[in-house]
Amino acid sequence: MVEQPTRGAGLRSGLRFLAASFSVNLQAVIEYRGNFLVQVFGMMLNNGAFALFWAALISKTGSIGGYGFRDIMLIWALVSSSFGLAHVIAGNVRSLGLIIQRGELDVYLLQPRDVLINVLCSRTIVSAWGDFAYGFLVLALLPGFSLGQLALFLMLLVSGAVIFASTFAAAESLSFFMGSSTGISNAIAEFLISFSLYPETVFDRGMRWVFYTLLPSGFIAFVPLAALKSLNWGLVPLLLGAALLYGAGAYALFRAGLRRYESGNQMGTRI
Amino acid sequence: MNRLGVLANKYATAASVSLRNRLAYFGNFLGSLFTYALFIFVFSRIWGAVFSAAPGRATIAGYDRAMCIWYFIVAEVPMFGFGHFFYSLAQDMKSGQVAYLLGRPYSFVGYHFSEGMGSAVLESLILLAEGCLLGLLFVGSLPVVSALQAAAVVVSLLLAGSLQFLLQFALAMTAFWFEENTAFFWIFQKLALVVGTLIPIEFLPAAAQRLAWLTPFPLLSYAPARIAIAFDHQSARLLIIQAAWLVGAAALCRLLFGVGRRMISSQGG
Repeated sequence: MVEQPTRGAGLRSGLRFLAASFSVNLQAVIEYRGNFLVQVFGMMLNNGAFALFWAALISKTGSIGGYGFRDIMLIWALVSSSFGLAHVIAGNVRSLGLIIQRGELDVYLLQPRDVLINVLCSRTIVSAWGDFAYGFLVLALLPGFSLGQLALFLMLLVSGAVIFASTFAAAESLSFFMGSSTGISNAIAEFLISFSLYPETVFDRGMRWVFYTLLPSGFIAFVPLAALKSLNWGLVPLLLGAALLYGAGAYALFRAGLRRYESGNQMGTRI
Repeated sequence: MNRLGVLANKYATAASVSLRNRLAYFGNFLGSLFTYALFIFVFSRIWGAVFSAAPGRATIAGYDRAMCIWYFIVAEVPMFGFGHFFYSLAQDMKSGQVAYLLGRPYSFVGYHFSEGMGSAVLESLILLAEGCLLGLLFVGSLPVVSALQAAAVVVSLLLAGSLQFLLQFALAMTAFWFEENTAFFWIFQKLALVVGTLIPIEFLPAAAQRLAWLTPFPLLSYAPARIAIAFDHQSARLLIIQAAWLVGAAALCRLLFGVGRRMISSQGG
């Protein structure tokens, strides 16, 4: 009789698999060190340009919607690093729809691992390492940022990254139902990133409910900002709960879609 | 047909082929239209928040709320419409396609210019029309009050687009010397964004403004946007400076291409 793995053993095995995927992906990208460094520093520079914009604007206007320069930079640190972390670990998250569309899931279906986790984590995005690092650079340059805040920041990154990855994965999974979800998933990604990077208060009250449902900028940027500013660990369970909810939702949508998946009879290998 | 006519016909054909190609895959352009609209929406809210926070303050650095939003609408057109030549140009340099194109009976720079601008001009005009509709929705009346001003805005946009092309072409040609040159474009792109696209030059610190005017960056977005919101004696000056930089950028491209082409080695058939 085959012994079933316990839940704890399954989790450990899953984490070992994630670590192995991460290690392989990392080795693949640093094989081309020059390209890796150019993309990482290029992305940090890209993000840094917006800091100059905000500095120039706020020096002329004072705070915007109650947000000062420090608040904006904290939002950038949170969003950039959690977006980066999501794409460093789950690099295929924005390509999932295309993989489904092209019938390229076959190769993952045959492997003895969870299909969604396997497909998402089988790649890393090089420029996302720059996004990830940028948040820490911002914190290092902000005066008066404490070690306690850094610990909280790390925790907030986890929930933010899970919510980012889950929202993108759910949008991409619509490909199972629609054939191509490129338009809608690009729109959701654009909206989510754009709304997360600007002060919540500039948007009308009537539309802010969207930030806590369909486009969870509230859980990625606005609530974490409030937690970070007041060093409020009490908000962490709420954010982790939200991350769990979005993760479960994305997973359920993917599994429901997978039942509709038709193989492309594609021959492929993963090396 | 005289020689000049044949020459013009050749480049007009390149522009027309590129235009028809773009029209055949128009769906790809919808993403740009969508993102442009999203940015206008977000920035209209930001400027709304800035001015509503200080009701007594009618202007900041000489701009009121309506001017700031219209400025952004026009300034983003060259960035969206003419901002992405670099990748295909750099790819031609890196892949060796340049060696293949050199043997053809046209100017390498002229051919790429016609091909790139053919579709970019149409896209920019569509973006401008979309921007005007959104501006009417978020702000109210158009800032352009005369046909002469409208013509000046269009000319300035075309000069800005041509300058964008030539500067990106010069950057792409650094591939003759550097294996990976994308980072140069990223730096260029971000400087262009900060210096006059997201906010008017007048919002920058005085020293940064002086420095900015020593570069072509204010001419890529600031010039057409400024002409659109304030048509005055400075408008003609901006157009002249744009034209002068265009001539300088064309000379730079010729020089770089002349030096760079000596580094091309072609083998086999």
